[in-house]
Amino acid sequence: METLFGIPIGSLTTVLTIIFVLSALVTSIMAIRNPIVLKMALRNIPRRRAQTVLIVLGLMLATLLFSASFATGDTLSNSIRVQAVSAIGEIDEIVKSEDREPSGRPKFLDVKAFVEVENALRNSQVDGIVPIIELETTAISVATRRSEPRLSVLGVDPEKVAGFDRILGVNFDLLSPGQIFLSVEEANELDIVKGQKLALYFSPEPSIVEVFDIYDNGASGALLRLEDFQEILSKPEMINGIYISNTGNAVGGAKFSDEVETDLKQITEDIGLSVDTIKKDTLEIADQVGGSLASIFLLFGSFSIIAGILLISLIFVMLAAERKRELGIARAVGAQRNHIVRLFTFEGAIYSLVAAAIGCLLGVLVGLVMVQVIGVALGSTEEFKLEIAFSFRWQSMVLAYTLGMVVTFGVVVISAIKVSSLNIVRAVRDIPEPPSEVVRLNLLIKQIAVVIAQTIRSFASLKIKRAIKLLFLSIPRSLIKFLWAAFLTGYLMILLGIPQVFSGISSEQLTLFLLGLSLTIIGIPLVIRHLFGLSERLAYSIAGALLVILWIVPWDWESFGLPNFDAGVEIFVTSGVTIVVGAVWVVIYNSDYIVNLISRAIGQGRTLAPIVRTATAYPMSSRLRTGMTLAMFSLVIFTLMVVGFINAAFAGAFNDTKRISGGFDITSSVNFSNPIDDFPDEIDQADSLNLDEFLAIGKLSGLPVKIRQSQTEQDFQDWFVTGIDAGYAEYVTYGFTLRDAQYKTDRDVWNALIEDESLAVVSSRIVASGAPEGFREVSDFELENIQRTDSEMPEVFIEIEGPTGAQSKKLKVIGVVEEQAVFARSVIISQTSLQKLSPVPLPVLWYEIALKDPLIAIQTATALEEVFVENGLQAESLEKLVKEQNAISLTFNKLIQGFMGLGLVVGIAALGVIAARSVVERRLQIGVLRAIGFRKEMVQLSFLIESSFIALLGIVVGLSLGFGLSYGIVSNIGEEIPGVSYRIPWSTVIGVTVVAYGASLLMTFIPARQASKIYPAEALRFDE
Amino acid sequence: MMNSPIIAAHSVTKTYQAGEIEVHALNGVDLAIEKGQMVAVMGPSGSGKTTLLNIFSGIDDATSGQVIIDGVSIHGMSDGDRTTYRALNMGFVFQSYNLLPVLTGAENVELPLLLAGKSASSSRKKALEVLDMVEVGDQANKRPSEMSGGQQQRITIARALVNDPAIVWADEPTGALDSETGGLIMDLLCKLNEEREQTFVLVTHDQTVGSRAERLIFMRDGKIESDEVRSKASLIN
Repeated sequence: METLFGIPIGSLTTVLTIIFVLSALVTSIMAIRNPIVLKMALRNIPRRRAQTVLIVLGLMLATLLFSASFATGDTLSNSIRVQAVSAIGEIDEIVKSEDREPSGRPKFLDVKAFVEVENALRNSQVDGIVPIIELETTAISVATRRSEPRLSVLGVDPEKVAGFDRILGVNFDLLSPGQIFLSVEEANELDIVKGQKLALYFSPEPSIVEVFDIYDNGASGALLRLEDFQEILSKPEMINGIYISNTGNAVGGAKFSDEVETDLKQITEDIGLSVDTIKKDTLEIADQVGGSLASIFLLFGSFSIIAGILLISLIFVMLAAERKRELGIARAVGAQRNHIVRLFTFEGAIYSLVAAAIGCLLGVLVGLVMVQVIGVALGSTEEFKLEIAFSFRWQSMVLAYTLGMVVTFGVVVISAIKVSSLNIVRAVRDIPEPPSEVVRLNLLIKQIAVVIAQTIRSFASLKIKRAIKLLFLSIPRSLIKFLWAAFLTGYLMILLGIPQVFSGISSEQLTLFLLGLSLTIIGIPLVIRHLFGLSERLAYSIAGALLVILWIVPWDWESFGLPNFDAGVEIFVTSGVTIVVGAVWVVIYNSDYIVNLISRAIGQGRTLAPIVRTATAYPMSSRLRTGMTLAMFSLVIFTLMVVGFINAAFAGAFNDTKRISGGFDITSSVNFSNPIDDFPDEIDQADSLNLDEFLAIGKLSGLPVKIRQSQTEQDFQDWFVTGIDAGYAEYVTYGFTLRDAQYKTDRDVWNALIEDESLAVVSSRIVASGAPEGFREVSDFELENIQRTDSEMPEVFIEIEGPTGAQSKKLKVIGVVEEQAVFARSVIISQTSLQKLSPVPLPVLWYEIALKDPLIAIQTATALEEVFVENGLQAESLEKLVKEQNAISLTFNKLIQGFMGLGLVVGIAALGVIAARSVVERRLQIGVLRAIGFRKEMVQLSFLIESSFIALLGIVVGLSLGFGLSYGIVSNIGEEIPGVSYRIPWSTVIGVTVVAYGASLLMTFIPARQASKIYPAEALRFDE
Repeated sequence: MMNSPIIAAHSVTKTYQAGEIEVHALNGVDLAIEKGQMVAVMGPSGSGKTTLLNIFSGIDDATSGQVIIDGVSIHGMSDGDRTTYRALNMGFVFQSYNLLPVLTGAENVELPLLLAGKSASSSRKKALEVLDMVEVGDQANKRPSEMSGGQQQRITIARALVNDPAIVWADEPTGALDSETGGLIMDLLCKLNEEREQTFVLVTHDQTVGSRAERLIFMRDGKIESDEVRSKASLIN
């Protein structure tokens, strides 16, 4: 893992480490200079142990999520690296002919090319270079008749294998002509032992070789002497590749790849060779996959991290409330406001240090579980099989720790500054804060003017020290105070919002545009409130409702004359946060209606009435606390629901196997070197197959070509084009996302393709989707000036050059195959059209088969493999393939949901913190309640109802927003991908509700019990 | 002839540990209070006044001895039964008012009625009546933080009286008020005592408050030092 969201890990770690060290240094110096404040901070920590545990739990969550994401990324990178190194050993580069055969394989070269390459690398960082022939072929054990349709056979020059000990470390001198070494993996597959014969189908006539010995070095395939292989193929003095091993070990050599490639530049251009820097590329891909995965997890985890930040603020607000009296006393006896800031900062720093360390370690454990889940999911298919090799690099550990620490500590310092502004008298007497006064901006402006005047006077009277203090402390402080007031009263929001709206329009960036619009629509009611005394409830309710409407409705901005906006991944996070903020404002500022409703619904019972009355009154009387907790719950549940809805919509669409497979039941491929002459006829003749059971057989051929889109700046690039026959075109059920207006139905497009050699259709994989960058794969060859979301098919032409360059075609694209067609090839033309691009006859490489009874697909596939074993036919039930791939997606989606679900811990911890705090805070009130007739269990129930109220409100808000936003998202996707429709993910709805609510109750149970055990006489003694 | 006492205490002691020291907060108190009496309990700090109130009202347990309220031994009851008994038969007035800050005046007053199982509508009706009676009907929809100290104490008194309890316990009912407001509160308590024939037990430091009660009990070191019953006519108004 080398990058995170595109930022190099090294730079990120360095910056964060510098911030961390500087913060630690400043905090330490302050601590040394204020030992008494430090002592107070330290002594606060063990005062309430249970609360300290909760605080650390809350604070560690952000670090845990960072650490788990990095551990997952590192492990996947490492697993791919280990697998790659095991498969390719010391090979760093492979040199091959630039030209390819019709089969797609590189052309053979004269062995002289090796000599020239060897000479070119004489002074390079290379410790091994060997000429080879490498081919894949069908192999059948003569004794057991077991087959391997794709055996990799490698012929190497035994004189040159030095430097490749790991991968070629067998004694070739022991081999006689006609003998091979076979890997243990393939020997098991073929059920073959030493001395037995193996038939290799490089042509229709098999070559029989003897297995001399079995080797086990991690690489899979067969090894033989180059000379023997040349003889088998009747290609004396010919090779089809050169392996190069760079100086250094199997991994370290990759760093010289660029150098080696440069050294070979001249020779490769001269004789038409290409250099594949396989090791470097594989390692880069491994790092990219790891980095992308960590980024994905972090992106989805960002909501939990935001919720975690809210929790940290909440914890400090509550700590300040708890210690209000003592802080007031401290201020009364001479402590400055900055002493209070330091007091909280020191305490917070200790919590953060411990929490980040624990979070980092627990994150590794969470990551370990996650990669195991991924490993099991990938291991279920041959295609993606990956042995998980756990890894967590020290750089990632440092990054997770510093990132977690910086985020946590930053929030702690901001919270400390906020809580330090207390009124001494109100704090000492523990009187509640009065409602905030109307902000008088003109007074703040006057204040700035006064400070500026004082500064000038001080300079004029040469009181330089005072002047500097005023200039650098008082003026900025007054300015910040004014700007903050201007922001809170809405004026600055509008001033910032409007230019942002225009900037968003001109840059066509949706997030910028929506954020600008959001600031403006929040600002307007707040300004009206400030100017005309609109009630706080109305101002925030209007602002909140407008925010929700703005972000939740799938607006067609183009119909308002606005541009077709682009959106990046950041919109995922900003939309989630903004919608939740809006909804929480609406709920919190109208809570009395909700409370009345609840009281009417469940508070009518004689026993419940007084309990419900008190239980709902408390959370509604402290808006900040309740609002923050509500936001934490809603945010996490909302995002879980959105992901759940999207998964359900896709699962529904992709469970339609027939639609995905184009109506076929079996897909099969054959060996290029040994094609089948007449497939239906041979089926008819086979005892184990019955041609009557076959409904349709589609034949497909392929050709490596060079391709570009006409009338664009694109260069030609290597691609693979597929040719279909009439049998395929007549039966295939794939529809088209975009279709040339000339054709009325999808079938018309397929028929035209067969009839007209100047036409082509393409897969939606090479056409840009409306999805934001980062949410979609970008293909190397992608059509321009066309999008899947276009309402009609624009005119698009492609140019294709055959493998020799002699034949070429310009084709009109008449359709974009629908997105579910995952088995559709990227560029499809008719077989006759394809043949005209090839100098040699093209064999059929794939057969797509539809059966009258799809239920016999698996057994028919097996029978086909047996009948056509010599042709290397590999057949698979398409339903089985689809199900396997769906299972991987499902596991991955569940994993992401599980990871996001960690955020629920935040909301639940918040409820625990609130409940624990409330027990202390309301001790006297509990005493009074007990005195006037509340039984113990009523007190307990009151606490549980209070937590339930917040948790359920959060769940309802989260679910409602999830239901609302998902409708728009799914409808949008549904327009692009037929079959994707709005389905309620009941398992997610029920699972999330039960887990979130159940855990909340459990978390509140202990504080509620403690509250019920408060002895009234003792509680009331506080009153004396 | 003495009526049967509504509150009768026999050899009540209360001992608790304060660190290593054993404190005898009540040291064998015998007391009988008649129904409808207004009793003031006075004494210096630490004399056991509040402990007496807590134990006699069933908020706290005695170490030994017996407290009988209206013929029922409250310390023989379970905690739940005792709580219910309090809800139905007693009212409390505290020095710092101790209203629930999150509830409005009317909601605070109706809470004991709801606890006693009365319907929401009848509870609200009764609460408003009592609020009017104590002259703070206009504070019904305000929260405690929006009221003056005197208004809060009147709300507390309304809460204590709303259930028509047989006994009202008041711990320093004027302790947090200025003398003028304190005097008005005492006027109100005396008036209510007279009109409703409820028993009032007031714990106080304040001589003025003590002088308004028809019976004055003086405590010292957990014992009753003096017990003076005065005719209503002799009381200072």
